[in-house]
Amino acid sequence: MREKKSLISNLQSPISRRAFLRLALLTGIATGAGVIYKATEVVGFERWFRWMARGNRARLFAPNARVALAACAAYDADVLAAARAVWQNATMPDLRGARVVIKPNLVDFVGDLPCFTHPRIAQAMIQLARESGAREIIVAEGTTFRRDPQAILDATGYAAMLAHEQIAFVDLNYDDLVEIPLRGGYTRLKTLFVAKTIRDADVLISLPKMKTHHWADISASVKNLFGVVPGIKYGWPKNTLHIQGIPAFLAELADSLQTRACAVVDGIVGLQGDGPLFGSAVPSGIIVAGTDLLAVDATCARLMGFDPAQIGYLDFAAWAGIGAIDAGKIELAGEPLARFQRQYERPPQMG
Amino acid sequence: MPNATDFLLHAQNADGGWGYRVGGMSCVEPTAAVLLALTDPNARARGRDFILSSQNADGGWGIAALDSESGWMTAWAVRALADFADARAAVTRGAQWLVAAEGIRVTDPDARKLVFQVDKIDSTLRGWAWQPGDAAWVHPTALAILALVAAGQREHARVRDGVEYLYDRACPDGGWNIGNPWMLGRKIPATIQDTAVALLALRAAGVTSDERRVTKAIEYLRRAVAQARTPAELAWGICALRDWRVDTGDAPSRLNASQSADGSWNGNPFITAAAMLALKP
Repeated sequence: MREKKSLISNLQSPISRRAFLRLALLTGIATGAGVIYKATEVVGFERWFRWMARGNRARLFAPNARVALAACAAYDADVLAAARAVWQNATMPDLRGARVVIKPNLVDFVGDLPCFTHPRIAQAMIQLARESGAREIIVAEGTTFRRDPQAILDATGYAAMLAHEQIAFVDLNYDDLVEIPLRGGYTRLKTLFVAKTIRDADVLISLPKMKTHHWADISASVKNLFGVVPGIKYGWPKNTLHIQGIPAFLAELADSLQTRACAVVDGIVGLQGDGPLFGSAVPSGIIVAGTDLLAVDATCARLMGFDPAQIGYLDFAAWAGIGAIDAGKIELAGEPLARFQRQYERPPQMG
Repeated sequence: MPNATDFLLHAQNADGGWGYRVGGMSCVEPTAAVLLALTDPNARARGRDFILSSQNADGGWGIAALDSESGWMTAWAVRALADFADARAAVTRGAQWLVAAEGIRVTDPDARKLVFQVDKIDSTLRGWAWQPGDAAWVHPTALAILALVAAGQREHARVRDGVEYLYDRACPDGGWNIGNPWMLGRKIPATIQDTAVALLALRAAGVTSDERRVTKAIEYLRRAVAQARTPAELAWGICALRDWRVDTGDAPSRLNASQSADGSWNGNPFITAAAMLALKP
């Protein structure tokens, strides 16, 4: 009985403060490691750590992204002057001698809804590339819902515009293919077939419509890149890629395309609500441009009245260090953002 | 159309295949379509050899020789090779691949209900996907039905499943699109090409025009083709309407008028082959 009492007394004896802190620290580290391990089990700790480290490095040390805004009240205004202004203010790539591929969003046509990039801004970009000394200019798209893009080109006015500008259209759905490695590891895909026209471009200009999207929340320069993957491999509507998870696959696209990309966004009239096809028009009077596609999209999100951190693909890709979405990491040039901010109606599935 | 034939003969690649443009990478689909349209025995033999040499070890076909993952173009290969007596073994293996392949289905009751709320479709039905790991869609399902019928398997249960799948995906106003008749409460309109290929498949499967969804689809297609302007839409629309013995109006003459000086339609061997099939006497 006495021995038992002594044992209990030893166990109850207070440990030193230093030992307690050590124990607490070790417990904390072990618990944290366990939580991280469990949380990253799906993708693997190594990958998660690589993404996290790159994201933190970008947030701490990467120079600010530059995004330019230019006012353009309507499509019959001087769109080329506005395009020149954003191109200059955003410090965009030098197009002299370059093979330039302009990739508008020609998802489909639905009555007179502004669900596609207006041909007037595509025409302005062609003229800008021409006066900048581009060696070759191509307009290219791989449409999502129709195998035959001709009806879309006719209905949207692109066929007439391209004929007038004597510019070739390349249907990326039927282009020769190249297989590229996916370096991010964000999806289960190891490689991706992309159109050779995109791989061979010196500069790819993503030229989307600013709009809301019922699966991706918003659609701008990164979502527009879905069109560079060929329908003949991934089908119509390229659903295999959606199945990979939209934020993860968009991060993969933004990270793995080896072509130098930049973006010019058609926000002259945006689309709100049930995008990418339906919803309603919002005159926003703005063109947005930059070389950091995430920063451009984050700026578009703000112009549409949304917090970029609440947009799944932006939040994920920025966390992984693919680009910047924090306002403090984006240097705006040209027109003040606040003047053009609207509150777009949310898409039906948006949280 | 001698100049269309000349165009196709000129467009044949050194490897025996055809691409979607002159000089473009040979792919299974345009090669198979040209084989259905062309009669030149030498060009056909070289085209057949291209398709045979592109068959993957699993019996299916990717989009081209560089693609080792078999997918939807298997249906095109089987359909085209079925016309060659000496390709029977390849056809059998291709048909077996098709029978084993199916799009992802959603069978969990809660998830199924969710899919129905969004798309108003029955996600448990068996159809064919564009590629493994994808859900089923109208176009690959219709092509697979055409291929299995050509391979002598019209009575196979998968053909019947495919027909049920197509019925389910019919658009409320008639016809088919990619496979989403509805999206978040909105009707998604039909397209000519999807409707045409679905109608061709249903006809091949033995469905008759008594079927309500067929009647509506034919009516949609007749109206749409009357206004169609693009060679691809006209060609596929005419093929389907002719197959169902429906008057094509002035569509053939409009398709004829859209032929380019080089004998092609849009400079594209695939569309040119479809146009030749549509205008075949």
